[in-house]
Amino acid sequence: MSNVLFQNDTRQPRRFGWGLTRAMSLSLTAFAAVVLVGMLVLFAMESAPVLKHEGVNYVVGKTWFFRSETFGVLPMIYGTAVVAGIALLLAAPIGIGAAVFTAEIVPPRVRMPVKLAIELLAGIPSVVYGLLGILLLRNYVYDGLRAAGFDPLSGDTLLTAGLLLAVMILPTIMTLSDDALRSVPSMSRHAARGLGLTHGQAILAVSLPQARKGLIAAILLAFGRALGEAIAVFLVVGRQDNQLPGSLFSLEPLISSGQTLTSKLGGAEVNIAYGDPLHWAAVVGLGLLLLIAVTVVTLVAAWLQREAAHA
Amino acid sequence: MRRWSNLIVGGAATACGLIACTVLLWIVFAILFRGLPAVRWQFLTEQIRLVGAEGGIFYNLVGTGILMATAAVITTPLSVAIALAQGFYLRGNAAQRAVTLLLYLLNGVPSILFGILGLIVFVKYFDWGKSWLTGGILLGLMITPTVSVALLERIRMIPERYIEAAAGLGLTRSQIVRSVILPQSIGGLVTGLLLGLARAVGETAPIMFTATIFAGATFPTGIIESPVLALPYHIFQLAQDSFNPDVAVKVWGTATVLLGLVFLLSLVSLPIRLKVHEEARHA
Amino acid sequence: MYPMFRATLIVSCLLALAGCRKEAGSTTKPAAGSALKINGSTTVNLVAAEAAEILRAEKGMNIQIDTQGGSAGGISAIGDGLVQIGMISKHLTDDDKKKHPKTNFKTIQIGEDAVALIVSKDVWDGGVKSLTKQQAKDIYQGKVTNWKQVGGPDQRIAFFNKEPGRGTWEVFAHWVYGSPKKAPSVSFPEVGGNEETRNKVASTKGALSQLSSSWADQKTVFALSLIGDDGSTVEATEASIASGKYPMSRPLSLITNGEPTGDAKVFVDFVLSERGQALLPKHGYLKMSQLKH
Repeated sequence: MSNVLFQNDTRQPRRFGWGLTRAMSLSLTAFAAVVLVGMLVLFAMESAPVLKHEGVNYVVGKTWFFRSETFGVLPMIYGTAVVAGIALLLAAPIGIGAAVFTAEIVPPRVRMPVKLAIELLAGIPSVVYGLLGILLLRNYVYDGLRAAGFDPLSGDTLLTAGLLLAVMILPTIMTLSDDALRSVPSMSRHAARGLGLTHGQAILAVSLPQARKGLIAAILLAFGRALGEAIAVFLVVGRQDNQLPGSLFSLEPLISSGQTLTSKLGGAEVNIAYGDPLHWAAVVGLGLLLLIAVTVVTLVAAWLQREAAHA
Repeated sequence: MRRWSNLIVGGAATACGLIACTVLLWIVFAILFRGLPAVRWQFLTEQIRLVGAEGGIFYNLVGTGILMATAAVITTPLSVAIALAQGFYLRGNAAQRAVTLLLYLLNGVPSILFGILGLIVFVKYFDWGKSWLTGGILLGLMITPTVSVALLERIRMIPERYIEAAAGLGLTRSQIVRSVILPQSIGGLVTGLLLGLARAVGETAPIMFTATIFAGATFPTGIIESPVLALPYHIFQLAQDSFNPDVAVKVWGTATVLLGLVFLLSLVSLPIRLKVHEEARHA
Repeated sequence: MYPMFRATLIVSCLLALAGCRKEAGSTTKPAAGSALKINGSTTVNLVAAEAAEILRAEKGMNIQIDTQGGSAGGISAIGDGLVQIGMISKHLTDDDKKKHPKTNFKTIQIGEDAVALIVSKDVWDGGVKSLTKQQAKDIYQGKVTNWKQVGGPDQRIAFFNKEPGRGTWEVFAHWVYGSPKKAPSVSFPEVGGNEETRNKVASTKGALSQLSSSWADQKTVFALSLIGDDGSTVEATEASIASGKYPMSRPLSLITNGEPTGDAKVFVDFVLSERGQALLPKHGYLKMSQLKH
């Protein structure tokens, strides 16, 4: 990339001025930034009434009953975290393993078709996953859990949503991990092999550690996507309010219904809340929390990817 | 020992690769198996009848087409602007990093939040009701990072000597942009648009509160109170509210058509994109 | 590349215009447009959507139908002036009217339906054929959590509650508590659409939910008889709904703001005509002439 465009210091413009093209380019870029910041500000403004009404209880409160104007979001934060956590726990190892497969093991001739297939499958719309979830997966999970001796109340569980999300974020993890592994200089690999390491050992000792930051970034970006997925989760999570587990060390909550920030945002309460300032604020507040969470995750991932690129 | 570790690492990675491919291919099969029987010519050219039990998805296709065209029109200037700012106008690491971060963050915004944003801005403040334009604007904003990045990758591949030659002719920077950079990177814009639209075409969350209704919308005649039908919203509705088994076939059929659209859009652009991507990385 | 550049300019001007629309939008309410807009209950939607199809084909009318927010969505859409006709599958209550004091609600009943308590096959086969009002209340409040407590099999009760805003839920709450307002706040898994409800109940052991009785097919899901305060058992049959004996029967209505005029009147008149009324039995509902109360 020795393009003259990017060697900023050596190249001075002949006539430096605010050409129209330049002005448009910069102002539209600024516009995009304004949209992003504006979204945050707007959500904060719209949700102000509920923050005034509930205070810190909005975030740590354990009950949400809109008809008695009690708005506590903690169970939804819990649901969101659990569902995205399950998805990562399943998709991260498989995704990275598969990336090792495409980046380190298969010959280029096989690599491209596999990559192509993964990229294609990354495009399957979430509503289609939702359809698969509501008509097939929730039954599989229900029957499977019962066969395994568990006693789930229904097939709409946090686990079902997590499974569905795992498949949805798998392509993201695979593609980004593949990129991270491919950016490990081949010199390092050759050196390792020269030291007498087998191919497998070289992957473990050189490729994976060197691509570490890129891999974590891949996982984080997938996590961000899992946090924000609405439609597919909505259809299979059960949408049960106020589900906080008594104990963190029990499997029971995983096979119960729950509610996530997004499943609430995709549901009937958005329409019901529309004319009621406090309820509306409570609903938009969910969006604010989600936006903050995703922004933090994305920022960390971006920082890691930059670190990885500079390493 | 050495051989074992080698085998285990290779075996585990291969197993993961196979699991991933199998799961994903099974999904495609599961959809096509149920949906293909419904996909007939009439299915594409007739409008919905009997609440989805009969007829087809003509106006859903029309609506989705309108939303995609609008999204493309909205995102093109934005993406071109951002790619040019990032690849040409902005100087210094800090400014470029800021734009990269902007793209990252915009790309990370969950699609349901675009829906809520649209509900607040266009439905609540502007009083537009449900409108195809709202949907197009939201989808256009949503795919802007995808389009910008694809375009930027292409801009970075323009041979140095082209720009030097243009600069040697005494062209201003704006002239260089218009006569060299943009014509040379038009392919990147097209690729990016196709990829972005492949993502936008299946989105339900941004449009469900702002642009689409269940039945009855045809071609929009204005902006305000002018909703459309769309494929993903159709699936979302019928998945919850189909009153007889005939609908089930139709809903899988709709999913098949939607999947076909997504794959078509990606397939056209993917080979170019993969190639660019790999070349950029390993040049 | 000038065309692209020009396109950039034009679109950004459009965007700027969009930015200016706020002022225009907030001072004058937009005209409702030329289309007849209908929103509300998914239960009524089956009839209304088909009526709309016929009117579209025969009279070239432009009718747009949506079901966002169920009955409550229909009422608020009328209240906010977003649509000309709302669809509701419950009684319009004083609370509904109080929420929209400026709206002159007109209710036009087009037929009758009932809300059934439906159970999955294992519960039905296990011997649960009816519930008393008190039992329904205890299940709703979480005091009864196993079917054996109400004479059924030893199986936990998987209760799917209809989501708030649905007419179905309000009719249920009205029967059990006298008014939806008096129903306590509870947390159960929620279901929205009728098919989602039927599908989830049919595929879950020990399942119970509220559903339009016409959807209770007695093959995948089964409607329970209700035992009222006086101890009499009433099945959800056409006869008992028509006579008003079944306690969770409910009117299916179209609502308008003031007397319907123009296209809205054409639509309402069609649904009340013989051909329009024929659509109700087709979807398992009762038409007006069948009602005896």
